[in-house]
Amino acid sequence: MTRTSVAIIGAGASGAAVAWRLASAGVDVVCLERGGWLEQGKSPSLGHDWERALQTRFHPNPNIRRAPDDDPVITDDTDIQPAQFNGVGGSLLRWGAHFPRLRPSDFRVRSLDGVADDWPLSYADLEPYYDLNDAMTGVAGLRGDPGNPPRTAERDPPLPLGPGGERLAAGFDKLDWHWWPSDAAIVTRARPGRAPCNNCGPCGVGCPRGSRASGDNTYWPAALAAGARLETGVRVTRLMPSPDGRRVAAIAYRDAQGRDHRLEADQIVAAANGLGTARLLLASTDRRHPQGLANSSGLVGRRLMHHPTAIVTGVFDARLDGHKGPFACALYCQQFYETDRARGALRGLQLQMLRGSGPVATALGGYMARLPWGSGHHREFTRQFAHSATLTVTVEDLPELDNRVTLDARRNDATGVPLARLAYRVGENSGRLLNFGIERASDALRAAGAIDIIVNPLSRAAGFHFLGTARAGDDPANSVVDGVGRAHDLDNLWIVDGSVFVTSGAVNPTPTIQAFALRAADAMLERIRP
Amino acid sequence: MTQDLLTIVLDTLLPGDGPWPSARDVDLAQALRADVAGDPERQIEIVLAALPVSFAAANADVREATLLAIEMSHGAAFERLVTLAYTAYYIEPRVRAVIERETGYENRPPQPLGYKLEPFDERLLDKQRQRAPFWRKV
Repeated sequence: MTRTSVAIIGAGASGAAVAWRLASAGVDVVCLERGGWLEQGKSPSLGHDWERALQTRFHPNPNIRRAPDDDPVITDDTDIQPAQFNGVGGSLLRWGAHFPRLRPSDFRVRSLDGVADDWPLSYADLEPYYDLNDAMTGVAGLRGDPGNPPRTAERDPPLPLGPGGERLAAGFDKLDWHWWPSDAAIVTRARPGRAPCNNCGPCGVGCPRGSRASGDNTYWPAALAAGARLETGVRVTRLMPSPDGRRVAAIAYRDAQGRDHRLEADQIVAAANGLGTARLLLASTDRRHPQGLANSSGLVGRRLMHHPTAIVTGVFDARLDGHKGPFACALYCQQFYETDRARGALRGLQLQMLRGSGPVATALGGYMARLPWGSGHHREFTRQFAHSATLTVTVEDLPELDNRVTLDARRNDATGVPLARLAYRVGENSGRLLNFGIERASDALRAAGAIDIIVNPLSRAAGFHFLGTARAGDDPANSVVDGVGRAHDLDNLWIVDGSVFVTSGAVNPTPTIQAFALRAADAMLERIRP
Repeated sequence: MTQDLLTIVLDTLLPGDGPWPSARDVDLAQALRADVAGDPERQIEIVLAALPVSFAAANADVREATLLAIEMSHGAAFERLVTLAYTAYYIEPRVRAVIERETGYENRPPQPLGYKLEPFDERLLDKQRQRAPFWRKV
């Protein structure tokens, strides 16, 4: 395989969507993926030691997981650790499937609040692609949320809240605050090849029923049926520019047997997430591009945004059975989503319920502090286990130039590509929003009847959203790609993952990433077949 | 590294308490053997090497105080040991049986049975449905 029409780097959320859209239109597509196919039919959730898997081969942090397809990430200068997964489906293989959209105001942050930047596209531009993505993914939820624009796409019935969720819902009602059942990328009705969710809980170790969407069971079967080709276990090492420097001529990659290859393509799509895409572009230097490809603005790798997250857990005197039900999908509150300057911070936050944890995660604290060891250990375990419900406080992270992905000067991977280095500090605005959100989450849990509140003011492990490292914009001087993801500097390079985010919003980004990718694919089709 | 010393350390971390077996009761040191062998940073050995020679003969209070001091001085290594110990302990069948008896948490894997997917009760949303749309128009 040496030539194709479109080459995609990464088979995760965005790469899968682009592959399907283009292949369905008859375009010759090849996707290169570092990881392999995860055998979800053999998920650890079928065995007694499934919680050990969360500490080992399903650990979210590649520095701890150390799978053969993981590269270390240098993290000695970051407040938040990376959480990512390689494979067909990418980090969706490890996710909780919470599936919210950005709001219209998220695309107009500069105009509305005088901070950060506006996107070069609007919610209305993405709306048909959000709907298409919902249809391809399979979403359980309920239309009618007064906190968001109406959803037109069909939904499966929502997931049950469980005893903890019902208490929290009552607490929000008592405070007269908004709440709504989560949109979840989990089917509650059967689809071809996917059984409805059976409420088992640990989505993060794979779903043997295929209920939880993860790319490998949504877009990829359709893309492959349409003729897309997918090569797994390969490491892309470099993008090779054309002699005039205006195009990407080829992708250099190494296969699982250690053989080096070169794939030429008319269009190149980077879909390796906000960490991997930035690393690849920065590593692809030559005489014309000493700062890396697509980087005349100097913004590749910069403006890294996470979703800083605090964890607030309420302990109740009643049994809540929080281990039952998808751990991340129950309900959310967007009462404080929009800017209120009285808070002393701009933009806002979402409170999202996490159900309870299994025994090991309870003892280890999950995203909280672990339980004390020693003579008081079992007393505390008994008090918390099956008696707690959690609210995450997820805040909008404003872009800052010094929060960034760079290349490590000394350490390379096995192919000679420098390792990625993270420099990230939680900004002042985010810190204020976190503090405000912790207070509100505590209010809600108390209103729900919690007898004790446990706060983790910043989840260090919550680096699952890498956003903004190749931002979209109209001006090539201060953005990397345009509104449909095409690089300003290179005529045939497209970026479709979370790198393109201009601002982060305060919700999980996957639906927006995929909607942007589908829209980019349609723009690509216009160029391929004018 | 001696298995006995690890057993004493683990017993200090996870002592028996009422229905709960101690680490020694479930032979946790043996369960951790594979983890120790696969521990590239030898974190467990770092903790054991930091113990004073009198540790094994000390009473429970002194052992706990000793480990607290090591937790402060060898934080990363100690945290790794605790993570391995908690993980092995709470997946141990005898401990799972106690959890089931004490809390009702079923002593079985989440799959393939899962749990009943109750229908969502839309009456819960009566109050929310009375809200006017409040998302910010642009």
